Amino acid sequence: MFTRNEQCDTAAVSRNLVELVRRTHLSSAPTALEVLKAAVEEHGEITDEDRRAAAAASGLPEAAVYGVTSFYDDLLVVRGARHVRVCTGTACFAATGGSHVDALREGLGLELGERSDDGSVSLAETVCLGFCHASPAVRDGEVIDAAEGVVERVLSGATRAALEPEWVSMLDEGVLTRPGDWSGLTHALGVHTPESLLAQVKAATVRGRGGAGFPAGDKWSFARASPGEQKFIVANGDEGDPGSYIDKYLMERNPELVLEGMALAGYAVGADHGFILTRSEYPLSKPALEQAIANAHAAGMLGSDIGGSGFSFDVTVLEGAGSYVVGEETALLACIEGLRGTVSARPPFPAVRGLYGLPTVVNNTETLANIPFIARSGAEAYAALSPGASTGSKLVCFNERFARPGVYEVRFGTPMRELCEELAGGMRDGGKIKALQIGGPLGGILPASQLDVPFDFEPLAKLGCMVGHGGIVGFDERTDMRELTRHLLRFGAHESCGKCFPCRIGLRRAHDMFDAGQEVDRRRLEELLETLELGSLCAHGSGMPAPIRSLLAHFPDELGLA
Amino acid sequence: MHLTIDGHTVEVEPETTILTALRQAGANVPTLCFDERQAAFGACRVCLVGVEGAPGPLPACTTPCRDGMVVDTHDETSRRVATAIVELVLSELPVAPAPHTELATIARSLGVVAPRWPGATHPVDHDTRHPYLAFQHELCISCGRCVRACDEVQGAFALTATGRGFTANITAGLDSGFLESTCVSCGACADTCPTDAITENTLLAL
Repeated sequence: MFTRNEQCDTAAVSRNLVELVRRTHLSSAPTALEVLKAAVEEHGEITDEDRRAAAAASGLPEAAVYGVTSFYDDLLVVRGARHVRVCTGTACFAATGGSHVDALREGLGLELGERSDDGSVSLAETVCLGFCHASPAVRDGEVIDAAEGVVERVLSGATRAALEPEWVSMLDEGVLTRPGDWSGLTHALGVHTPESLLAQVKAATVRGRGGAGFPAGDKWSFARASPGEQKFIVANGDEGDPGSYIDKYLMERNPELVLEGMALAGYAVGADHGFILTRSEYPLSKPALEQAIANAHAAGMLGSDIGGSGFSFDVTVLEGAGSYVVGEETALLACIEGLRGTVSARPPFPAVRGLYGLPTVVNNTETLANIPFIARSGAEAYAALSPGASTGSKLVCFNERFARPGVYEVRFGTPMRELCEELAGGMRDGGKIKALQIGGPLGGILPASQLDVPFDFEPLAKLGCMVGHGGIVGFDERTDMRELTRHLLRFGAHESCGKCFPCRIGLRRAHDMFDAGQEVDRRRLEELLETLELGSLCAHGSGMPAPIRSLLAHFPDELGLA
Repeated sequence: MHLTIDGHTVEVEPETTILTALRQAGANVPTLCFDERQAAFGACRVCLVGVEGAPGPLPACTTPCRDGMVVDTHDETSRRVATAIVELVLSELPVAPAPHTELATIARSLGVVAPRWPGATHPVDHDTRHPYLAFQHELCISCGRCVRACDEVQGAFALTATGRGFTANITAGLDSGFLESTCVSCGACADTCPTDAITENTLLAL
């Protein structure tokens, strides 16, 4: 039995399973998830034979492998020879109200998740493809098509690859849009000790760009202080927020900058290996990163004894399999280990017990992309990027409802109105902004009347909103706010990892309150939102009430409340 | 270190959780996913307590004590949220749990009678092929105690969590039932189950 002192050691799945996975990892075996992903790519569905093979290859028990196959969207859906995935993200909802999904279902004669009897075609939903600038988006095999007419093109077999707008920096000189050239790492290895680099990053107050806003320097300090020879850097590229395509741009257009940030984190923390988890919904991210890693090896910027400094660092790229909650840091680590992507209670924090039970820094990819500038130019220059506001710059992106959607690098503190009207050109076709959802599905809804708020952590928080990851989804006046509520709760309930009870059951009940067209008992809804917010284990369950509360506050007449 | 629980000062070892400390002190909060033989899991959120200075209720089972902490097991918000969670849990079962089960006992203690949530419940699904163990999946509340008992206590790794969100459940082997799994019939899962979703067939029932 275990002593009391060990009770703080909480279990992701079970203590022994994690230890088992750690030992197998040391033998360089593939994870169960990697084997299963390959199987579904190869023959369109997972069989018990595949599960047994994944168990044998990975060392995971058969039951645990079954658990993995029942968790990830990509492993649950059967695929035909032609596999069509329709995006049901929030930007696509804002564009069509969901009519593109119905049109595709009718046109193909298939329900979501269904495969035709002859196996020739299958239809699935996916959230989200990151083509929010050209919604609605559909992935037909390996080709992602988007924008008006996409359904007709898919149905007539004329799918074409959608183009992406160039990103634009509003800074005098781009920081995150500047192509990574390893100059930050080269400089740091020449002039900084790990301690002095860490001090610069702490002084720069880099708040996490993934949503939570936790200072990266503090995470690094905790991991550096944790005892242990082997530590890891994990870049979170699982940008699951519907309506965001910021990390997509970073990983596919500027992978060197992300890798350089990881190497700098490794130098400061004392880690010689990093992992980056990309999304299967972004099929180009993993190849782009792998190419950049190969180039970096050739240039001597990754690998052993980088630039003769004695510092060694390498990166492994892994791809997820369809789960929003895997973006939560403990679930992310479980996914990298090839397990079910469920959340673990913290403490212990990953900085103490992370990947394979070892001290781990988990940072969002954009957070890491800030580090090369700090390494090169220092904390003061970093703070000067956004005078009088939070330090550094931020990538934001706009959805298709705007006249000029795309990714922009902006200064913190810029009024939301300036971002929406001057940068993004306001709503297209002369439409008016009804509301915005900023920062992902857990972000509050900002009504048009509050657009003068500065884009920054504290001012947005005061209005029940957040910077989050920086996705800005605009809704025009056609948007049915009750349908939006239902859309958000459907996503929330579908993506709940199923571990903590309030989220697992409560989000389903909240969705059902809006589902059937009946009146919604406001008092009971508010009780349920309190249960979710205060009771849930992670930000998914505790964050979903934020947009619902905004909708209750600003659009009560449209929600069908009793 | 010292902390105050419901007004009484308690001395505990470093890294003790609030749950261990309050039980040492003779206080209690209900739990559904906790079993002292296993690592804490933090899933049921029924052990929420008030802690002075914390922004909201904290789960007693996974929160380590800090020196000087002031814990209130009767905190109104915590008890209200815990009660609402137990009501949600009852609402996912198609039938009320048997009166002797931990779930029924805790529901009674919190005054939850019939859940006010209409809507989906778990589908009825029985696995009775095994000679000693029976699984009524509709009674499963995904507390994970059986999985941890199997992995941590017995080392058989026969069970797993399945699905996600509302469809989450537990299964044996490749969803093939106890009989075709690595189950060694030890009964640790049935022993820890708080709802009788997994039960041992008694000799009389055979």
